[in-house]
Amino acid sequence: MKREAERGVGEVPRWVLLLLAATFCMQVAWQALQPRPDARAEALGAPPAPALLRPLALGEPIALAQLLTLHLQAFDNQPGVSIPFLELDYARVVAWLGTILELDPVGQYPLLMASQVYSQVPDTAKQRRMCEFVRNQFDRDPDRRWRWLAHCAIMAKHRLGDVRLALSYADAIARSARHASNWARQMRIFILEDLGELEAAKVLLGGLLASGEVTESKEIHFLMERLKTLEAAGKATPAPENRHPRP
Amino acid sequence: MDSRIAAIARFTLLEALRTRLGVLVLVTVLGLLAASFFIESISIAEGTRFQAGFYAASVRLAAVFIATVYVLVSITREFNDKGLDVLLALDLPRSHYILGKLSGFLAIAVLIAAAAALPLVWLATPAAALQWALSFAAELAIIVAFSLFCVITFNQLTPAASFVLAFYALGRALTAIRLMSAHPLSGGDTLSHQAIQFTVEALALVMPALDAWTQTAWLVNQPASWTTLLELAGLSALYVALLAGATMFDFYRKNF
Repeated sequence: MKREAERGVGEVPRWVLLLLAATFCMQVAWQALQPRPDARAEALGAPPAPALLRPLALGEPIALAQLLTLHLQAFDNQPGVSIPFLELDYARVVAWLGTILELDPVGQYPLLMASQVYSQVPDTAKQRRMCEFVRNQFDRDPDRRWRWLAHCAIMAKHRLGDVRLALSYADAIARSARHASNWARQMRIFILEDLGELEAAKVLLGGLLASGEVTESKEIHFLMERLKTLEAAGKATPAPENRHPRP
Repeated sequence: MDSRIAAIARFTLLEALRTRLGVLVLVTVLGLLAASFFIESISIAEGTRFQAGFYAASVRLAAVFIATVYVLVSITREFNDKGLDVLLALDLPRSHYILGKLSGFLAIAVLIAAAAALPLVWLATPAAALQWALSFAAELAIIVAFSLFCVITFNQLTPAASFVLAFYALGRALTAIRLMSAHPLSGGDTLSHQAIQFTVEALALVMPALDAWTQTAWLVNQPASWTTLLELAGLSALYVALLAGATMFDFYRKNF
């Protein structure tokens, strides 16, 4: 705070000014010459147990979870993104994500990281590992976590080429996530269709329409069309370009 | 050293002795040592490692707190008791007062670091304990110099204490903050992010990243290299000199 009674800079001896300027310049120069800090993929250690972290959070587990998420993220945020992800020890990444979810079960960030970030590496084993993590976490809170499993189902079908795995995820969503969007709950029907299991797809689609869960008229129309196609087919159905109703 | 600077430094040390700062440090060290024995007793493996880790980390924070509060309260008392006015009425350059006080506080910092490191001679190797002590003395030197700067600048205890606390917390987290802000997953091109990153990098130029000082890993894993310690000592000396210059600059401009 500048007070009127403050004396002018001229009152300061010259040697003090010189000392201040010289040390300031040296400090800035020294720090500028230091190499920038860089996180290394191999530096990621195992996370502490949630039971230990809870008391350390001092009653703020959500804040601690968020801090840990950013800490974990710092290991990924390196130049040349795909290479550092590949270098990460995924067993440890899964452990960290699990620990963060234990601290903040309502938070979606770890599942987003698993399904949208860590699963983007060009390594099917690591992609599967992340999907497996999302699948395991889904069971604990299906109504909040279905969208991440739905993403994994799409990834399993299109990127991993494992339609059975995609079907198991879609089944889980339809079975457990009662509040999931209709498109996610209907996903298994189209996957069954792709698998050539037309009879099962037909039963499920008929059941869905009969249940009254779908109320949107355009969506009902679309599903009815699909059912008719399935019934008429009795043979291999050509895959339509767009299976989802227009919003 | 000028005899007047030495006299002020000596009286600063004497004041610490008479206000029982030494007793407080001793009680803190013994209390945390006792707590570390408790930690050792409940751990089922690596007991000594746990004990050394807990003691080193906790005594570091406790000593920083004690040294900070001591410097702030000591100078605030001089302001309030008007003892400073009497001193300034004498034929004593203001720089001598600051340098004398700073020398006294630096000596106190060294003594606190030595007392805190003493139990580590048994909990870790003597060489690692020595490295830890030297680094801790350098860290405390920065903290007491910064506390002196804050209390001279702000004149009052609460803003000065808040500023020192923020400085220390930021110093310990600076490297992590730089890492997190350097490579965000998204939004890296936005103006707000660029501004934040610029601010963080500018801060890194003018303040020390205190997480590099006094690492527990030196005690429980692998001792630091002496080159690292030399570099830390150099950085500390430079930063203390910078803070001394800034404190004197502010002090010369004050009207009493």
